[in-house]
Amino acid sequence: MEQMFVSIFIILGSLFILIAAIGMLRFNDFFSRMHASTKATSFGVLLLLMGVIIFFSSLIVTLKAMLIIIFIYLTAPLAAHAIAKSFIDDGNQDKKNDV
Amino acid sequence: MTTGLYNTTALVCFAFLLTALILSFTRLVIGPSVNDRIAALDLIASIVIAFILVYSIIIKQALYIDIAITISLISFVGTVAISTYLKQKST
Repeated sequence: MEQMFVSIFIILGSLFILIAAIGMLRFNDFFSRMHASTKATSFGVLLLLMGVIIFFSSLIVTLKAMLIIIFIYLTAPLAAHAIAKSFIDDGNQDKKNDV
Repeated sequence: MTTGLYNTTALVCFAFLLTALILSFTRLVIGPSVNDRIAALDLIASIVIAFILVYSIIIKQALYIDIAITISLISFVGTVAISTYLKQKST
């Protein structure tokens, strides 16, 4: 039962990261690519850490995993904002950079 | 090493994560602007964190979570440093 929960969590987490990478490759606008990669990756790492918490089920692992979750959810929007801000300050806020 | 369900799960997870790594590395190579490459590097750091978490489940070593903490710290600092450098250079 526990094995099944851990498997479901880590497969779902890997699937979300794969979806983020597909969006990163397939979208044809810079801001669309940022939108795809930031949120889905955070959620995928969250699901993987839930699987790790259920698998090890000890206090110190739970605390470390909660630390990673809080840190990723604090810093992923900050990093995305910094990248988008540097992109806008280059003077191309309404230019599409198609590939 | 592990039981049957975890073997299948690890294969599926590694297949997904390896495909994600190849796709984001393609974006890193062909990215038209520098900002696309920085975003791809950020995504690659998250994929490496996911690899390490799945591997820690396979070999049952809880110590590997510290590596995930370190990689998340370093990737955030690197992303903010490169984008701040670009912003200072453009103005």
